[in-house]
Amino acid sequence: MKLEMGHIYIKDIQFAAESKIEDGILYVSEEAVKAVVLEDEKIKSVSFDIAKPGESVRITPVKDVIEPRVKVEGRGGIFPGVIAKVDTVGEGKTYALKGMAVVTAGKIVGFQEGIIDMTGPGADYTPFSKTLNLVMVCEPVDGIKQHDYEKAVRFAGFRVAVYLGELARELTPDETKVYETCTIKEGMEKYPNLPRVAYVQMLQSQGLLHDTYVYGVDAKKIVPTIMSPTEIMDGAIVSGNCVSACDKNPTYVHLNNPVVHDMFEQHGKTFNFVCHIITNENVYLADKQRSSDWTAKICKMLDLDGVIVSQEGFGNPDTDLIMNCKKIEAEGVKTVIITDEYAGRDGKSQSLADSDPAADAVVTGGNANQVIILPKLDKVIGTLDYVTKIAGASEETLREDGSLEVELQVLTGATNETGFNKLSAR
Amino acid sequence: MHVCTVTPISMTVGANRIVPAIAIPHPLGNPALDKDEEKKLRRDIVEKALEALATEVDGQTIFD
Repeated sequence: MKLEMGHIYIKDIQFAAESKIEDGILYVSEEAVKAVVLEDEKIKSVSFDIAKPGESVRITPVKDVIEPRVKVEGRGGIFPGVIAKVDTVGEGKTYALKGMAVVTAGKIVGFQEGIIDMTGPGADYTPFSKTLNLVMVCEPVDGIKQHDYEKAVRFAGFRVAVYLGELARELTPDETKVYETCTIKEGMEKYPNLPRVAYVQMLQSQGLLHDTYVYGVDAKKIVPTIMSPTEIMDGAIVSGNCVSACDKNPTYVHLNNPVVHDMFEQHGKTFNFVCHIITNENVYLADKQRSSDWTAKICKMLDLDGVIVSQEGFGNPDTDLIMNCKKIEAEGVKTVIITDEYAGRDGKSQSLADSDPAADAVVTGGNANQVIILPKLDKVIGTLDYVTKIAGASEETLREDGSLEVELQVLTGATNETGFNKLSAR
Repeated sequence: MHVCTVTPISMTVGANRIVPAIAIPHPLGNPALDKDEEKKLRRDIVEKALEALATEVDGQTIFD
């Protein structure tokens, strides 16, 4: 499968009478995007705002972050089974608006939603301080259930992203990258001497507003399967979760998954990138057993030499991670796992809830419990009403001078487990 | 002893007697069942746990 990704660099976002992209500037008609959001009668009102890198702005509670894209050639459309009709995506030509994001905000559950700071120490930890952000704060109609509100905001974010992506349909990309993988047989013939490597991605599927959707299917209802690695670039996987902000994968991360992109860099050079295997992180033990059995079975059937496994979230998914690692290694396939740590504020506690000697190659996204002081910023988009309630905060979070004492957990993407974060070690 | 959904973690942390539970959000019940069925399920788990406690074990044991 071959996909051409056209990048259109967005240098600025401005509100204007008409939506368009001209000379790298995205002009947004507030009226038009509001109408796109209010198509859903479950949303009472929405306000739009623009947050730029370096500005003294705090966005919270952040729900999802989305990159606008448009499918210009090939089957299907962006977010198949969600916004576009169900059709297999991942081939043809797709354009992405680079350097910007749609950020959905507003109270949904009141905890486990994130903060994006556009300046200061918090900005060093969240990757979304570097994007021009079009933020939409949605208010639901009265009496709506939380899960209906979550769904309404999720879909509204996707609709706005698709609306903005469409503005690029007739443009010429600033840069084009080509991603191509082989079929199983082709790969064996083309790269007979290269190790066969795949990516095993664990999707958050704990339920109770901790969910991910694959072609519109709730990931807790899937059994592990294989995908072409280009499918995610057209939005085959989207976020629907309120897991701790630091290590959930917003839709933006699914579209730009760095494991997939980095593996493409090595494809045909140091290894043969065979495929993308997806699995879930369910709350029933039988599901954990079945899913990890299946990932190991698929790895074996594909005659893989190695896999990279990424986790999403923390806690009981640590068990899914270790079960995957142990069972895949037992099939003679080498594993590297990517996780993050909840090692306590002093970093001295056990990092994961589960462990095994087979997990001898581990990449960490950092310690989510690390404490950080976020200074008071001039402007808040959204509300600070829940800032003491989100995971990683406490009753003592809001200090007298208006600064926040929090764990890295609160910052969207701070310890991301696909490497889409800023933390590193020397 | 542990009554626990994620028995592999109980194994990792060294519990002697482990009785599997239903699911992480509802270890000792199942909201998908009707009241009578759920009551029976809950009772079965507690009785199994009591039985496990009264059973001699030689190393870590899961009471399936």
